Amino acid sequence: MSRFLVNPRLCFGSLRSGRSLWNNLNIKTYIGRQVAVPKMVFSGRLFSSTIPKLDHIEDVPTLHPLLVKRAEALTKEFATLEKAVANGAFDQETSVKFSNLSVILENYHRYQEDMGNLASLIEIIETEEDEELINEAVSETNALISSLRKTTRSLEARLLPPIKHSGKPAILELRPGVGGSEAAIFTKDLMDMYINFANHMRWKHSVISQSFTGQGSINEAIISIDEPGSYDKLRHESGVHRVQRIPSTETKGRIHTSTSAVVVLPKMSEGNESSLRDDEKSFQPGEVRIDTMRAGGKGGQHVNTTDSAVRLTHIPTGIQVQQQDERSQPRNKAKAFSILRARLAALEREKEIAEQRKLRTDQVTTTDRSDKIRTYNYPQNRITDHRCAFSLHDVEGCMAGSRLAEIIEKVEEHEFEDRLEQLIASAAA
Amino acid sequence: MTRISSKVIREAYKVSKLLPPLLRATKNLDLAKCELQWIKRELPKNKWTEAVIRRSNYEPLQYVLGSQPFGSLDILCRRNVLIPRWETEEWVTRLSDMIRQHIKDTTQLKILDACTGTGCISLLLHQKLSEEAKYKTDILGFDVSYDAVTLANDNLNKNEPSWSLEKSSVTFRKSNIFHWSLNDTAESFDLIVSNPPYITREEYSSPVTLEGVARSVKLYEPSLALIGQYEFYEKLVDITVSTNAKAFIFELGSNDQATYVEKQINSLAAGWKTKMYSDTADKIRCVLGWKKDTVWDFLVKF
Ligand SMILES: C[S@@+](CC[C@H](N)C(=O)[O-])C[C@H]1O[C@@H](n2cnc3c(N)ncnc32)[C@H](O)[C@@H]1O
Repeated sequence: MSRFLVNPRLCFGSLRSGRSLWNNLNIKTYIGRQVAVPKMVFSGRLFSSTIPKLDHIEDVPTLHPLLVKRAEALTKEFATLEKAVANGAFDQETSVKFSNLSVILENYHRYQEDMGNLASLIEIIETEEDEELINEAVSETNALISSLRKTTRSLEARLLPPIKHSGKPAILELRPGVGGSEAAIFTKDLMDMYINFANHMRWKHSVISQSFTGQGSINEAIISIDEPGSYDKLRHESGVHRVQRIPSTETKGRIHTSTSAVVVLPKMSEGNESSLRDDEKSFQPGEVRIDTMRAGGKGGQHVNTTDSAVRLTHIPTGIQVQQQDERSQPRNKAKAFSILRARLAALEREKEIAEQRKLRTDQVTTTDRSDKIRTYNYPQNRITDHRCAFSLHDVEGCMAGSRLAEIIEKVEEHEFEDRLEQLIASAAA
Repeated sequence: MTRISSKVIREAYKVSKLLPPLLRATKNLDLAKCELQWIKRELPKNKWTEAVIRRSNYEPLQYVLGSQPFGSLDILCRRNVLIPRWETEEWVTRLSDMIRQHIKDTTQLKILDACTGTGCISLLLHQKLSEEAKYKTDILGFDVSYDAVTLANDNLNKNEPSWSLEKSSVTFRKSNIFHWSLNDTAESFDLIVSNPPYITREEYSSPVTLEGVARSVKLYEPSLALIGQYEFYEKLVDITVSTNAKAFIFELGSNDQATYVEKQINSLAAGWKTKMYSDTADKIRCVLGWKKDTVWDFLVKF
């Protein structure tokens, strides 16, 4: 499978910004850094010691050619839309689309303009004789680059198809996989890792429910990360996590391999008594069966059970959610409904992704639910994410929450490239 | 009684030494685990062992922990006063949700809660109608038991700081339903609610497996709060009519009691509709009545 080997933000070359000079920009490495210089006018002044330094010329943020292509397609679409609007077609959908597109294109035009200006400035730096003018051009270039960085980022985010629910908070579900009690201990370790990570990020969080199997091990844990947008960061954590270490219970010093499964869901509602009513209303009558685990018998004054467990069954999908952590039955019900909605939202997203994949059967890059995504190797002090083949050599730092972000970032980059590839594939189709 | 296998007991012991005694009371490992978790969450560590021992002697966990959630409220619980049940919580929640949905006039709602116990029904109605939905409500709860009225007032005092209680009121007083005379009723009410004692003497003395009363209830909850057949309902219907109420809802334990109330109201007054309601465990749980062609007609959908 082919991948972009360079950071897509650094792809110079076939840009069509309308300026011929820019077409000649090339990447050259001088004195250890990448510099964008016009190919033909090559005087070496860009790195002369007599002029002030260009701060960030080595990573001028540029739009990937594919995204440029998409922007141009959108320009055409916008033109048609404009005509439709002029002819009086102004329904809700058209107007939303119209305003979305105009924001994107506004950004795109600013980007083109900035790129043009950048080329001109570089030309001045390269060819101008007047030192003062050169200094001015350099400082302007630096300012321009930082503005370009912002524009490019937001364009990239807008041009790639949006990730559904990316603005939502998250629900994390953790369960032991293979490996018996060691798997349950590792599940507790992972839960602590995510809580540490949330603390590190200063994200509000709470444990929705957990069931212990014994000292320091867990059968199931569900935690809520209440920061909007945390779903987009954490969704990369979904999958099977594998641990290789000598369990504390092992007497012969052998290394065991165990796993734990993490499921990350977009949190669709608060999960408290006031969200319960809306959550219930979001389902058709009869769509969800509610079972309370009440003992038989006459009920009422005859018994004083503490059993407050609630089980929901979503009839169309068969999804079941059970909650029993709270002494209050309505609170268990509210949590269960919130989890059910999150699972359904995740299911819907998975379906959409699967459908998109079906459109390009040649390029299957499925990550199966059963695929292991990451290995935590304690003896080697190494955590390897198998999706992007990145290794972090600091297990403790990751489990303490301070270095998980580094791994997630690598996975994000990898996904970005993946999604670009998908865009190519669908553009080619 | 279901017996617990020695395998389950061993399994429980592996998780925590405190689990097997709890298992004795709950007969169910999952529930025992939950209870242990709640004990650990709500009591200081030096009280855990004592709590587990009390519970293993069938004392209700609600007395051990001193409270029971009821809707969004936390109701204090003490011996000598009946612990609020989930069935009651369910219909009170349903009733207040429906009132909020159907009664648009929020200016005056007078409610009488007979046999109030911990005060849980009065307090949740106030919370849901007055605090959450700005109805002006005046709620009076009464009980014959001194301990119950004291506890109801403690529960009121506990919640009062977070309430506005400007235009609305909640009052508890000690009275005996059987001495409630017509002179007493200078007051009128819109709605009468009650969860009176409804376990018959026969049921009370029969074994649990034969529709009897759970061991923990019999050993620890006051029989004064439990034993009754038709006498309370007879009196409740009297009060409904004499206070000029427009609607009532009474919790009960059998079809017979529901039919009794239906007969009784129709023999004493004209223009009443009634309805029986089953809880989510599919057990008959309430009888409702309302005067035809009033704002309370929505109760037909209860
Ligand atoms: C089943 S408990 C209900 C308590 C509370 N309403 C609840 O739902 O949890 C019945 C209550 O009726 C009270 N009671 C018994 N006999 C009474 C009487 N003659 N007059 C008034 N209250 C009485 C008991 O003290 C007890 O608190």
